[in-house]
Amino acid sequence: MAIRVNPLLIDDLERYGAEDVQKCYHCGNCSAVCPHTDETFLFPRRSMRLLQMGLERRIEGSLEPWLCYYCGQCSDQCPRDAEPGETMMSLRRWLTSRYDFTGISRLFYRSPKAEVLAMAGLGLAVGIGLVAWGLGTGGDIRIYDGPGAFLRSEHVHRFDWGMAAVLVGLLGTNAVRMWWFTMYRDKESRVPLSLYIKHVLTLPYQFFTQKRYAECGERKPWLLHLGLMLSYLTMLVLIMFFLGTMQSDTWHWQAHAFGYLATVGLLGATAWMIRGRVRKQTPLHRHSHESDWVFLVQLFAVAFTGILQHVLHRAGQPLAGNVVYVIHMMVAVPMLVLEVPFSKWAHLVYRPLAMYFAAMRREVLRARAPAPLPAGARRVQAA
Amino acid sequence: MRKAVFFCQVGDETPLNVDSVAKYASNLPGVEHVEVLGIRPSLDPTRIAERIRTVRLDRLVIAGDQPGFFKPAFTRAMDLASCSPLEVFLAPFAAWGAPAEDATERAKAIVACACQGVPFTLAAVPASTPVHPATLVIGGGVAGIQAALEIADAGKQVHLVERTGTLGGHMAMFDKTFPTLDCAACILTPKMVAVGQHPMINLMSWSDVEEVSGTPGAYKVRILRKARRVDVSACVACGICAEVCPVTVPSEFDAGISTRKAVYVPFPQAVPNAYLVDPASCTWVLSGGQKCGACARKCPKDCIDLSEKDRVEEVEVGSIILATGYEVFDAKRIERYGYGVLPNVLTALEFERLTNASGPTGGRIVTRTKRYNKRTKRDEWVFQADGPSPRSVAIIHCVGSRDSAYNAYCSRVCCMYSLKFAHLVREKLPEAACYEFYIDMRAFGKGYEEFAERIKAEGTHVVRGRTASVQMVGEEMVVRGEDILEDRLLEFPVDMVILAVGLVPASGTDELARTLEVQRDPDGWFAEFDYDGNPTETQRGGVYVAGMCQGPKDIPDTVAQASAAAAGVLRAISSGRGTGSLSSLSLSVIEARARTLARST
Repeated sequence: MAIRVNPLLIDDLERYGAEDVQKCYHCGNCSAVCPHTDETFLFPRRSMRLLQMGLERRIEGSLEPWLCYYCGQCSDQCPRDAEPGETMMSLRRWLTSRYDFTGISRLFYRSPKAEVLAMAGLGLAVGIGLVAWGLGTGGDIRIYDGPGAFLRSEHVHRFDWGMAAVLVGLLGTNAVRMWWFTMYRDKESRVPLSLYIKHVLTLPYQFFTQKRYAECGERKPWLLHLGLMLSYLTMLVLIMFFLGTMQSDTWHWQAHAFGYLATVGLLGATAWMIRGRVRKQTPLHRHSHESDWVFLVQLFAVAFTGILQHVLHRAGQPLAGNVVYVIHMMVAVPMLVLEVPFSKWAHLVYRPLAMYFAAMRREVLRARAPAPLPAGARRVQAA
Repeated sequence: MRKAVFFCQVGDETPLNVDSVAKYASNLPGVEHVEVLGIRPSLDPTRIAERIRTVRLDRLVIAGDQPGFFKPAFTRAMDLASCSPLEVFLAPFAAWGAPAEDATERAKAIVACACQGVPFTLAAVPASTPVHPATLVIGGGVAGIQAALEIADAGKQVHLVERTGTLGGHMAMFDKTFPTLDCAACILTPKMVAVGQHPMINLMSWSDVEEVSGTPGAYKVRILRKARRVDVSACVACGICAEVCPVTVPSEFDAGISTRKAVYVPFPQAVPNAYLVDPASCTWVLSGGQKCGACARKCPKDCIDLSEKDRVEEVEVGSIILATGYEVFDAKRIERYGYGVLPNVLTALEFERLTNASGPTGGRIVTRTKRYNKRTKRDEWVFQADGPSPRSVAIIHCVGSRDSAYNAYCSRVCCMYSLKFAHLVREKLPEAACYEFYIDMRAFGKGYEEFAERIKAEGTHVVRGRTASVQMVGEEMVVRGEDILEDRLLEFPVDMVILAVGLVPASGTDELARTLEVQRDPDGWFAEFDYDGNPTETQRGGVYVAGMCQGPKDIPDTVAQASAAAAGVLRAISSGRGTGSLSSLSLSVIEARARTLARST
């Protein structure tokens, strides 16, 4: 098959944050310092090379960007200030836009203005819709829960599940596209079904522990990320399955204890990350794409309005509680509908998938006869 | 003629005050349009052509650090606007000596000349001055030696000032030269002896240039003759003084891998071949004459005078040749290579001494062994002639060079000396594996590429990819790096690592530049007058540069430049007139000269 070259790819990627790829002169320092790189998945230098050559399809089919956690050692030690770490980050954004078939992701990443406008528009629609719904179903803005409540938990619950279905549908198709690009299209190294079964546990293991992040040198970013993720997950489970309990006037300490814990986790972690991005002290935080800010600010706002409406409700302020509840939904719905499938959030699916795919690919490629090594040298195997 | 000046910069930082130059340019006669386009502007020839048409321009001047970079767009624009593309002139600041903020006046002059269509170097020719027939050469390395011999052999007086106790510089430390693998000392020592014995050369070793006054062609130079404390004419270098000297310090000549005494001769072939007392370590000097003094008592020739004082000598010279050389990059700055921590990580200069037959192991390549020092009661790692040979050696290129965190420039000689090291390792230890880790192989000189190919054919593993780190994994020293051409990540267990350290200007270069009013380029090397057209003169009249002090170069280039500098000096002496300082020309003078030249052509 002919290899197609897209010489403009490197310019396009600038919109996703990678501005210095062209500076790279391929000394290989970055790959050598990377704690994650191995024989099969050599990065970031190889990705830099593919970009410089404009090999779009090869990059589209690469898993490497998802195997990088941006510890920033490569950027720190780069003799050319080519920012390999930021390039990998930008490639993750670019790949997210590629996996997404709607083109919305591409629009958002390339035009932050469009992203913010879409969020605001959807938020406004949600606000108007909820108020109309509340009034239309005979709800009373002064009642928080029970009969006559403004936003009845069972309605919200149904709405949530509908939203979840849309989300799963979008993320699912994108995940299939990712599989198609990375695993299926490369006929040279297709993976037999047996390996899919053998490695399937990688998926939940990496999703829940994010163990690979822990191997990144410093453990603090991993703990922070894990904390944020687990808090988010806890909140998701509470809302999807126990919304009635959470919203009811009666006190259920089991559910609330988890809720508070998750809220503290969400607020603390996002606040800490925002602080990091403002201070720009670590390579990870030195460059912030607009999508990073949207992600953090939105998540913080969702958590904050969520706990605020809860506090107001418990403090006997059902009116204020309901108002904040609507605001909460105005922030949360755009976040879930637009950010999760089309922007930074999507990595919650792609990362574990990439690690699953990578484990299989590694096994397939390792079975092949390798080229002879210089006398005395050893291969560096994956940790 | 209607002209326009466009300012375009290539460099990220612009120390030059471009705005004030632009303001000046807008007041020049005929200049109708001035535009500051900033750093690496994206230029659209059609839009520039439109500007040319609307302002009805006949001539364009591109001003900036490297304006040639942008010329094609402007030439095309002139073509599109049906104007002569020959009417595009360059005003290159960096090339003509206006790289920094303090050079705004120079930059203005360069722009003024370009507006007249006259090269700056043609208009800015300082008035010639009478030249004193004696010459001062600063630095006694191969560049200084070569320049001094050329001039002295022509029958003219040379004063050669050398900071250390001997001639020779770095070249004397080398084992072999590349690519011919000749013995460095065999080339250098006859020249050193010739300098030492030359009737027209006044060799002042162990001396520093303290002050330079006067004008081009008639400089008065105050030279600090540091107290050697040994009478050079009487000393026969018998070595008894060193035998009794109780002080042991690292030897500079052996790059610190062996020791010398406080009274020492740098190396056996030193010129002058006489001992000297190192005041920084001598017990007698440090105690103010209270302690020791053993050497003076034991000297059979009675030629040691520990109480000798520094003195100042003044010489009159017409020309000065700077040949102050370089230092190697301090590898400790890059912690991940473990230099200074891991005993068997060496710099290139250390390895050069190790493999040299006159080095501490007699040229045997061995690894450091641990030895208990009874005096300091500590273990120390030393090279011993009967130490174990390394089974594998890694050579890491570009240490401190081509790296934005250290020196962005290429040090030019490291690739070749690294290949030479690989050859020496394979020659002396045929069983040892030798790995070269490089980014780009810069084998640019005569016979260099062939040399590189030869080394590869000899079985050295040449790996493309800069290694990231040298680490101890248990008892093993491991070098980790990407093998780029084979697309794999490898670890190499090695017994010895040689860091191909880059080169930096010698210490004291900045002070000397201030003393002599010579400009330095942004990397710290002495700035030549014109990189292409006049690489041996500086903007200071009668001051020449030769060798590494002007920028990294290999021995053949150094020798060539030294001879070229000598030719410049001899031209001035035999014609009786030398060039004055560029700073003697005021902006208005240069402007007027440019106008006259423009009219006459």
